[in-house]
Amino acid sequence: MEEKEFQISPFLVFFLIHSVQLGVGVFGFQRTIMKSAGNDSWMTVIGAGIAVSMIIWIMYLLLNRHQKDLIGIHRDLFGKWIGGFLSLIWIVYWLLIGIIVLRSYIEIVQVWLFPMINMITFCIILLILVYYCVTGGFRIVTGISFLGVLIPFYIFFTFLFPIEYIHFRNLLPVWNHSVKELTLATKDMLLSYLGFSTLLIYYPYLKHPKKSQKWAHLGNLLTGVIYLFILIISIGFYSENQISRHTWATLSMWKIVELPFVERFEYIGITSWILIILPNICLSVWAATKGVQTIFHIKQKKVVIVSVVILFILLGSTVAIEGRENIENLNKFMSLLGLCLVFMYIPFLTLLSFLLSKIRRGNIGKA
Amino acid sequence: MKKWRNRRSLFKGKDIEIGGKINSETDPLGSLLRQLSLSNDFTQFTYHVNETSLCIGYYTSLIDTEILHRDVLPYLKRWESFASLSSVLPIEEVIITSEPAKIQESLLRGYLFIFNINNLHQVCLVKAGVERTRQVSLPEVEFSVVGPKESFVEALDTNINLVRKRLPMPEFTVKEMIIGKLSKTRVSVLYIEGIANKENVNTVIQRLSDLDIDQIMDSSYITQLIQDNQNSPFPQLIDTERPDRVASVLGEGKVAILVDGAPHGLIGPTTIFEFFYAFEDYYLNWAVASFFRLVRFFAVIFSILVTPIYVAVLTYHYELIPKDLVSTLVTSRSAIPLPPILEAIILELAIELLREAGARLPTKVGQTIGIVGGIVIGTASVEAGLTSNVLLIIVALAALASFTTPVYQMGNTIRLIRFPFLLMAHYLGLIGVAVSFSFLLIHLLRLTSLGRPFLEPFYPPRIQDLKDSLIRLPFSMQSKRPIQEQTEDTMRFNSKQAKEKHNTKRN
Repeated sequence: MEEKEFQISPFLVFFLIHSVQLGVGVFGFQRTIMKSAGNDSWMTVIGAGIAVSMIIWIMYLLLNRHQKDLIGIHRDLFGKWIGGFLSLIWIVYWLLIGIIVLRSYIEIVQVWLFPMINMITFCIILLILVYYCVTGGFRIVTGISFLGVLIPFYIFFTFLFPIEYIHFRNLLPVWNHSVKELTLATKDMLLSYLGFSTLLIYYPYLKHPKKSQKWAHLGNLLTGVIYLFILIISIGFYSENQISRHTWATLSMWKIVELPFVERFEYIGITSWILIILPNICLSVWAATKGVQTIFHIKQKKVVIVSVVILFILLGSTVAIEGRENIENLNKFMSLLGLCLVFMYIPFLTLLSFLLSKIRRGNIGKA
Repeated sequence: MKKWRNRRSLFKGKDIEIGGKINSETDPLGSLLRQLSLSNDFTQFTYHVNETSLCIGYYTSLIDTEILHRDVLPYLKRWESFASLSSVLPIEEVIITSEPAKIQESLLRGYLFIFNINNLHQVCLVKAGVERTRQVSLPEVEFSVVGPKESFVEALDTNINLVRKRLPMPEFTVKEMIIGKLSKTRVSVLYIEGIANKENVNTVIQRLSDLDIDQIMDSSYITQLIQDNQNSPFPQLIDTERPDRVASVLGEGKVAILVDGAPHGLIGPTTIFEFFYAFEDYYLNWAVASFFRLVRFFAVIFSILVTPIYVAVLTYHYELIPKDLVSTLVTSRSAIPLPPILEAIILELAIELLREAGARLPTKVGQTIGIVGGIVIGTASVEAGLTSNVLLIIVALAALASFTTPVYQMGNTIRLIRFPFLLMAHYLGLIGVAVSFSFLLIHLLRLTSLGRPFLEPFYPPRIQDLKDSLIRLPFSMQSKRPIQEQTEDTMRFNSKQAKEKHNTKRN
């Protein structure tokens, strides 16, 4: 457990979980899931939400047993070398989350706002922001997560504008897709929920960790509600055929918003989204930095160097990814890695932890 | 603290010089007198009483000659022995000593010395200091229509008196210390024992006693020296000239600092929202006060964001503006050869010029300059086709909005941080504005005031403290002290009793 002055109140976990789940995925998740589940895809949002909630429950089971972060658990279970290696995989995974969020956001900016933008400069500017936030410590990262949920929340009210053009009949007939199609779509939907695994690393920073569990589930619930809300409006607003041609259906929907002093609301949406993606990148970079710091026992003073190195890796790989194809490929790879790590490895690790402790206890009993 | 390279040599050299003379010679008092008489405002004369001759000396600039003539000289006639002087003189502080260092220090604090020429080993020091300060007058920076109209002056004792008469309680504590190698400024830390958090008080005292500086000319020196982040444009301690405000926040559990010679006290720990409180808010009905606080807060956001958004939209995002509005903008901008960023910077700088000129010139001339300059330059620049009408309105409104902050230092900060926003808006359009805004947010998140979070009660979120932040709820609901101060006694009063009203029955 960390020192008291660095810890945060349990209910802030609500914002940490929610802010890292909600990111650029909101702009274009409709197409991927409606490809297989069509008008029934709203069920997959609920299904994926429940699955994620169960994983959160398992995570708390694991963490409450050990009262340590993932790196420490790895070291306890697998020893220094294998444990360290497994931790490194997770660190790479968290870094990839940061990269993919940053790259997808830059892509949106390139397509919708500034086609000629200098990617390196823009990337550097955003990463300076991240650096300034991450070097402030976990409290600051939590702070930006908190504000990153509250301040841009007004944006979700603008999705009420398309309601007058909505055909709710598009939702009917219910259940006209097979279970297989729904499962496939649920798997695709899970990508939009990823990122909450950073809980594994900031767990020691929670003041009353056991009390925070309900807040984690509530945060996940809010994410699910927002996805469901946007999805139902999208299903009603577009036809199935139309949505398969929109990479960013949410953004296209904003074009309908019209106020006396502003039109083309997607510009304001994309702009405000900086505050939503900032916690995503900050939290994943912070998790990676913290992980590297614990694995290699780096002193607090040199953490700045670690974060600079990590940010340079982020910068390099973000700039290196060019074109829609590569971004899509990275997305696919990410969802596979995420599924393996979060939905298979975490339950496995929990089971292993229970078994090992039983065996060890048995050994002690025999001795 | 920064160490000046020549500081040591300057002071050590002097010390050795003085100390050396005093120690080396057999007559320490004589050498002290020789050194003192080098200054022309030091007076020394002999006064004959009966058969003995007394030597009296003092700095004419530091003592009240009336006290000398009325309360010292006449009584010296009844002089019998040195020891009896303290009972003869009608003055409370009469010290008898022989240490030259003590004599020198006392002289500089407004004492006069008396000694018998035949006996150099006993010197009597009499307090006869003069206090030349202005009268307690109206607050000028934080003026309020209703409520008390006293403000601090340059004398520390008067200021403490102004606070203490509002807090007549023994727990109200004043800790005094001397800061500044040259100026020897008296600095007082004020707090209420049993309410203020010990940690806060100790932090302030620790930071003050760690200070290593030659001169303290005003309380703003102290703010800049002891605040948590000295590079931030945001002040992290509030300065106020209202004794009622100081007394009130002491009751909330804060710590105040008063500096001799400064008509402004400092308050900490504070939050950014406290900079948008006018103390008058507490003298108005809570609904009215809350409304004005919200107006002020939105004025600040407006003032920071409006010009950058104008520049961003007109440089990159014309499509954002609906058709009817865009025609207004186009007619206003059609004759202007400059890009929006230059147009905006020219006007912003013009406003800054007017403000600066108005602030530096004497009041009456300043007002004229403001009105004439504002109207003439504004109209002329529009007619000459340098700036557009719309921008002129926007910039003037933004300037007006920045003046609504009740704390002067915060107003300056807000005018300064507009410029990075402008440049980023020119570079990245609306995204640039959002990036600068995020930067501002992270900066505010990172700031602390005496180690307490600066953005409280929004982050860390403390719902209880929201009752007196952007809005002010009625007094009956303010029964608990803010969590921000981590007070030792959290209850202000019984909230149940506060809500009840007892009327005497009218028969």
